[in-house]
Amino acid sequence: MPTDSRRVPGPQDSRSPHWYGKHATRQEGDTRPDGRGDHDLRPVYLHAGVVSQATGSAYIEMGQTKVIAAVYGPREIARREEFTMKGRLCCELKFATFACRRRRQHIQDNQEKDGALIVLQALEPAVCLDRFPKSQVDVYITVLQDDGSALAAAITCAAAGLADAGVMMYDIVAGCSVRQCGERQLLDPSVGEELSQEGESAEDHGMVTVGLLPSLNQVSALTLDGHLQQQTAVQAVKTCIGGCQGIYPILKDCLVTSTRKKIPALDPKSSHASTEGQNGQT
Amino acid sequence: MSSTLGVLSDAERLFIVHGVQDDLRSDGRACEDYRHVQVETDVVSNTSGSARLRLGNTDILVGVKAEMGEPDPGRPKEGKLEFFVDCSANASPEFEGRGGEELAIEVSNALQRIFNSRSTLDLTALCIIPEGQCWVLYVDVLVLECGGNLFDAVSLAVKAALFNTRIPTVVVTADDEGQQEIELSDDPYDVKRLDVDNVPLIVTLSKIGHRHVVDASWEEELCSLARLTVGVTQKGTIAGLNKEGSGSLDPESIYEMIESGKKVGMVLNSRLKEALEKEENSKREKIGFLG
Repeated sequence: MPTDSRRVPGPQDSRSPHWYGKHATRQEGDTRPDGRGDHDLRPVYLHAGVVSQATGSAYIEMGQTKVIAAVYGPREIARREEFTMKGRLCCELKFATFACRRRRQHIQDNQEKDGALIVLQALEPAVCLDRFPKSQVDVYITVLQDDGSALAAAITCAAAGLADAGVMMYDIVAGCSVRQCGERQLLDPSVGEELSQEGESAEDHGMVTVGLLPSLNQVSALTLDGHLQQQTAVQAVKTCIGGCQGIYPILKDCLVTSTRKKIPALDPKSSHASTEGQNGQT
Repeated sequence: MSSTLGVLSDAERLFIVHGVQDDLRSDGRACEDYRHVQVETDVVSNTSGSARLRLGNTDILVGVKAEMGEPDPGRPKEGKLEFFVDCSANASPEFEGRGGEELAIEVSNALQRIFNSRSTLDLTALCIIPEGQCWVLYVDVLVLECGGNLFDAVSLAVKAALFNTRIPTVVVTADDEGQQEIELSDDPYDVKRLDVDNVPLIVTLSKIGHRHVVDASWEEELCSLARLTVGVTQKGTIAGLNKEGSGSLDPESIYEMIESGKKVGMVLNSRLKEALEKEENSKREKIGFLG
């Protein structure tokens, strides 16, 4: 396990007491623990422009999942490499050490590196990289609390941050997850549903995350963990795309609000009628 | 990933894209054809299981070492699998030092993803004493040469090496005070093997132009902006899926790619099984690296 020599490490083999308790299992029933239907999203709160130092930033809450993203750039590439006509997008994803049930290390672990790569590849098709040659844009994402679908929230949040930074984009990216337990498809799962062992023995079980460019109808991120039949996998991807389409209006709304704040002439008090026109601009 | 492997002129690119469109690739294959695969198991004597695989110019060596360790507290009755991928500088000068690290992480995450599910490999068979001792299988992948389609080649080699893995039998006895003691069998042939029937293989589908190809050579990888790595089991179940590359994909083409990935993966699985069983039953002399 990688350790940071500059920090005082905790005891090497400490364990959370939760390991010794019983895992809460979901009762068989039609509704989910929080009373949602299978294809319902949790309430989403999205706000752009939360970090004043950054060029752009965003904060998202999906149920209890909380993610913050800050975007810096376009700026000069730190270690000058070859000349490139295309800009570079860099992405870092970090879970706060207290974000999950088990305590995380300060050093980025493999899961975080993998998540960062998925988010990067989800954003890359959306950004007009040829508009800022020789420079790079950095996206830093911190998951403050993980209550399921953290990766999907990270994708949505990072895209909102990029748009808030004024980076030219072809489209925004919305992320959404589906948990497949046997026959059931649970949209936007919470952490209990992600970890539940229900359906583990069934033929179909797994977790699908999709990043969608909604107005171009292109899938920019797709990852599936678990075992699914081909038909179920296709169905799960379709459900995810539906979920992403549900998040799109929230993203649009958030960006309109943050743009209005930046431009005094567009103060909401003076122009109520132009809301319709603003939507297209984002 | 592909940018590290060289550059391609526009004319070459166009040639490849047009070829793929007409279902005839530059080496004479159709879009869903694999290159010739050579696999040999039991090539490194210091391992519990090993395999060497050549797929076109891609050359992979996998060694599996079984050691004893403590199980994860969350899964006390299961053994562990650990993947380490090393892109040696042999494969490409870009991999020197820390250069290959990013690619190595990508590959080991892809392996992790397809082995994630419990139905893949019976990890409870690797348990020695619940909550005490279990077998930890270290799967070390060494990339000796990189000629395109690394993910598929690595997954084939890993499955072959796991097929070849032999874990010594241990007996747990309790002494008078109730202390458990582990005893290793003296007979070197007293071993158990892993059931690898459900282990998936990765099929990478690269989108080139409007079509997709399997088993892309490195030139073809340079022409492709988006790839889909699909884990497929022998029964045709999709076990792990990931989109890679800087491009995006149309939903319809994703569904098509999953379908052809499943088709190709099932054939690949049965061919590998055939080849491994044939190799084991024949008394052929080992070729090793001289072949």
